[in-house]
Amino acid sequence: MLTKTSPTLADGTKLSDLVLPGTREVRMRVLSDPEIYDLEMERIFGKVWLFLGHESEIPNSGDFVVRDMGSDSVIVSRDKEGAVHVMLNVCSHRGMKVSVLDGGNTQIHKCIYHGWAFRPNGDFIGAPVEKECMHGKITPKSELGLTKARSILYGGLIFATWNIDGPSFEEFLGDAKWYYDILFQRSDKGLEVLGPPQRFVVRANWKAAGEQSAADGYHTLTLHRWLGEVGNYAKKGADGEASADLSPEMYGVEVSSPHGHALRCIDLARKISRLTGLDPKALNVQQKLEALPPAGMTKEMVPQLAKHLSPAQLEVLTSMPPQVGGMFPNVLFGFVYIPQADGSVVGSLTMHAYVPRGPDKLEFVNWVLAEKDAPPELREKILKQTIQLFGTSGMVEQDDSDTWPHMTLSAKGAMGKKQTLKYQAVYETTAPKGWPGPGIVNEGFTKDDTQWHWWLYWNELMNAGA
Amino acid sequence: MQQAQENTAEHAAPTADRVHIGSSAYNQIVEYLYEEAALLDNLKLQEWGARLAIDLIYTAPLRETRGSSHQAATFVRTMQHFHDDYRSVMGRIMRLSGKSAWAEDPPSRTRRLVTNVMVHTTAKADEFAVVSYLLITRSRFNFDEFDLISCERHDVLRRDGASFKLACREILLDQAVLGTPNLAIFL
Repeated sequence: MLTKTSPTLADGTKLSDLVLPGTREVRMRVLSDPEIYDLEMERIFGKVWLFLGHESEIPNSGDFVVRDMGSDSVIVSRDKEGAVHVMLNVCSHRGMKVSVLDGGNTQIHKCIYHGWAFRPNGDFIGAPVEKECMHGKITPKSELGLTKARSILYGGLIFATWNIDGPSFEEFLGDAKWYYDILFQRSDKGLEVLGPPQRFVVRANWKAAGEQSAADGYHTLTLHRWLGEVGNYAKKGADGEASADLSPEMYGVEVSSPHGHALRCIDLARKISRLTGLDPKALNVQQKLEALPPAGMTKEMVPQLAKHLSPAQLEVLTSMPPQVGGMFPNVLFGFVYIPQADGSVVGSLTMHAYVPRGPDKLEFVNWVLAEKDAPPELREKILKQTIQLFGTSGMVEQDDSDTWPHMTLSAKGAMGKKQTLKYQAVYETTAPKGWPGPGIVNEGFTKDDTQWHWWLYWNELMNAGA
Repeated sequence: MQQAQENTAEHAAPTADRVHIGSSAYNQIVEYLYEEAALLDNLKLQEWGARLAIDLIYTAPLRETRGSSHQAATFVRTMQHFHDDYRSVMGRIMRLSGKSAWAEDPPSRTRRLVTNVMVHTTAKADEFAVVSYLLITRSRFNFDEFDLISCERHDVLRRDGASFKLACREILLDQAVLGTPNLAIFL
């Protein structure tokens, strides 16, 4: 029985016994247990800020898209004043979905069941047959609107939460914001999407993807070993022979957060010397930016950076830029430098949301981003490159989406669910000397700390009660 | 038939002239499609790659659920599921032929059922505009359910000696949310 005073699962296991801080383990039942899943929808997806898309998907008055906040469908719309609203896609009358589409444009969201109508901000307009007052006289019209979430735009990214009086988005990001700003707040015009997201279903628990997003660098060596074996990505060993050892790429700085956010900041010096032939030690910040502009930017766009980022942020951007990571609970970002066959470099900019679809299923939602003022040729290259590496047909992420279902199946076994996920590779370093950024920072080969901190926040929220 | 692909613009657009079912050219085209399905189902990726034209365009638009009066918006050709050319398709084959392409190792057991083939001539005498329906059953591991991938393909086939080369393929998938965990297989 689950009660407020005794948070215990049906089989008597205490909710607080799923994450084991003493040994940095997590009981595997969390990856398949329906009871835990239901609690997550309330205690995690009902509480934190969730990523829903980008405002460039709904540029005009009346534009809307339909997205998900945990297990709930929501309408994300733009009103006549240009403001973006997020509201529950459930008719306040009898619970029909107000929109059964993926998106469109309308000033009146009219439920097809009985015709109740709502504005793009969720306000109730009226019900058909007004003279009969079919919405009744008991609940005032002002209370018949769609349930509104609290929403915010951050670098054009749309986030929303049901926690109306909870922490601000800035508080939620905490120290990690300093690093996200390097990615999302770096340019004059900002980022935009290159189209609506890819969507596909993976028969896996959302946390298999979610915890990996919290900066699991280690899996790259084995699961994505092909990157070192074939094609443009193949590594050349000291003897010039192809070498599949990707481990030198796994050194850098990892940033984690008490709120489960994580970023992998990967050494750029190796990339500068390998891709440009220049000696990074001989270059100052400005020269590094021009030699190898940030992923998704051109040399011509580089002067914008100093207007938006501090010298300390520029230092990180040119030495250990955040390239992959996540936002708690279900977001992955990638700002990756991809070497091309012709010796040039194309940035690949992607955001994923892993939408929970039940204990055993997630919907993988994948957006590709570009700077608004990036030249058309670069945008096309970013789009093609990112689609070819990430998302549905992406040669990297094909392997991830084939792995998570097996973890979820393992967690259903009578023995398997008693096993633990282990996060026992612990950093014994701290931040590099003189590291200018905030947060929990460690340097060296990728370790488990960032993912462990992801679980600690999961644990904190799950035990905080409804 | 769904709306004609846009990226045939770089190739010859279909004319109103149907290549009739049972005609010699039609039979040769169907034979190409059957052979192609057999090569892919039997994991003969290199041989399949040899049947692609070097100016190949290979794309799969997204689908969105839109109202009846906005059906053009159901095909999304900005973001797509595949956005490939000859070079990138050959790169995919190289990866899948390597040692560590876990998404297809062990490989899916697939069956490509190709039907409803309709052929039109184009302004170029050696190119045909070919529409086919494709249903793929995809079985992975010991899972007892199949992943189903259903789509309509709009191809441009170019004469190449006794057979053809695939010069363009646009894959119009039927699902807005795909029910398979990746497209690590060719459609």
